[in-house]
Amino acid sequence: MAQQAPSTGGSARTLTMARAGREAVIAEMRKDPNIFVIGEDVAKLGGVFGTTVGMAEEFGAHRVIDTPISETGFIGIATGAAMAGMRPIVEIAFVDFIGVCFNAIFNFAAKTHYMSGGQFKVPMTMMIGYGGGYNDAAQHSQCLIGTLAHVPGIRIVTPADAHDAKGLMHSCLRDDNLTIWMVHKAIWGLGWLGTAIKTAMATVPEEEYTIPFGKARIWREGTDVTLVGYGITVHHALQAAEKLAADGVSAEVLDLRTIVPMDREAIMKSVTKTGRVVVADEDYMNCGVTAEVLATIAERNPRVLKAPAVRVANPDIPVPFSRPMENFALPDADKIVAAAKATLKS
Amino acid sequence: MIDITVPEDLWDTEDEGVIFSWVYADGALVQQGRLVAELTVEKAQLELNAPASGRLTILAPAETVVRKGTVIGRIDPV
Repeated sequence: MAQQAPSTGGSARTLTMARAGREAVIAEMRKDPNIFVIGEDVAKLGGVFGTTVGMAEEFGAHRVIDTPISETGFIGIATGAAMAGMRPIVEIAFVDFIGVCFNAIFNFAAKTHYMSGGQFKVPMTMMIGYGGGYNDAAQHSQCLIGTLAHVPGIRIVTPADAHDAKGLMHSCLRDDNLTIWMVHKAIWGLGWLGTAIKTAMATVPEEEYTIPFGKARIWREGTDVTLVGYGITVHHALQAAEKLAADGVSAEVLDLRTIVPMDREAIMKSVTKTGRVVVADEDYMNCGVTAEVLATIAERNPRVLKAPAVRVANPDIPVPFSRPMENFALPDADKIVAAAKATLKS
Repeated sequence: MIDITVPEDLWDTEDEGVIFSWVYADGALVQQGRLVAELTVEKAQLELNAPASGRLTILAPAETVVRKGTVIGRIDPV
C-alpha cells in the first residue's frame, strides 16, 4: 500500500472506517518519525480489527510494536514516551479492558500537561474499539465512553463514518495532548461481523484533512424531533428517521461526533428548532452521555422543549450474551421510533 | 479488457469467500495496483488490487460468495 499512486483519475473511493482511519495513521507516520504504534497484535496480525495491516512491513518493528497482554504496562510505556517527546498511538481492541490502565490514563496522560504548568505535553492517541450487538457478552460489548468522558484532560472522538474516521484521526494525531479515537465495532467494517453498515462507508478524499473537535454533524434535517446520537446510534437514528418519515414525522439526526468537547451549541440550535429530543446511546444510561446532552438543554434553556425528553440507552445492565436479551437491552431504530413518537404525544 | 479474478493464492484453503466491499463504483476509473475490493474469508479480510488501469465493471457485487478463480469484474483500458 506504500506504493499507491496519488491519482485515480478522479473516481471517488468508498472506504470502510477501518481503512480510512488506517490511511490517516500511515500518512502521519510517513511525515513524523516520532509516531509509533504499540499494542496487542498490532504488528504481526495487523491489529485485531485490521487497523495496522501492513504498517510493520513499512515502518519496521521499532515503530509498530507487539506487546504481551499487558495493558497496564504498554499504556504506561506510551505515556512516558509521550512525555519524553514521542507521539505514540496505542491500540486497545476492546475498551472493556481499559480499567487496568486507568492510573496511567487518568493520573498521568490526562493530567501531566496541567500539573506541570504546561511544561510537559502528552501527545498520545488511543485507538479503541467499543460496543456490542454481536453476542460477545458483557466483557466484550461495553462502550464505557461516559466513563472516560467524565475525566478532564481527554479529548474523545467517536466517528460514525469513514469520512469522519479519517479526518478525526488526523486531528487526534496532530493534537499535543491525550486523544481517544473510538469506533463502534459494528460500523468499523470488519468482515467477521458481517458486511458493513452501508451508511458507515463513505467517500473519502485522497488528500489529508482534519475535522475540528467539538463540531457536531447534522446527517438529516428535520423539523418535528431531534434524534441525537454518535457512532452506531447515528445509523439507528437514520433508519428511525426513515420510518418516522413514512408516518409523516420529520426527524433531524444530529451526530455528536466528538463527545469531549461536546457541541452544545449544535444541540441547542437543533432542539430549539424542533422542540423535541430523543438521545440514543449504546453506553450505560446512568450518569452517561445521554444525561450530559439533556443537562445541556436543562441548563441553557429547558423552555425550548415542548415535551419531556426521552433517552434510549443500555438500561444499566451488563450486556447480555443471548441474542434476544441483547437485542432487548441495546438501542435500535424501532426503540428510537417509539421514543420519538412518545415525545410527539405531548 | 482484463478480468479481475480472485487469485488462486489469495488464501490457503478451499473455503468460499465473500466480497465485503468494492472501493469504487461500477464504471469508475481505477489505477493498476490500487485496492479495488475487499474480501472476507474465514474472518480474515483480504485485499484485491486492480490488475490494470481503466474503467471498472463490477460483475459480482458486494456480499456475493466467491471462490478462488472467480471472475468478479473487469477493467477496460481507456
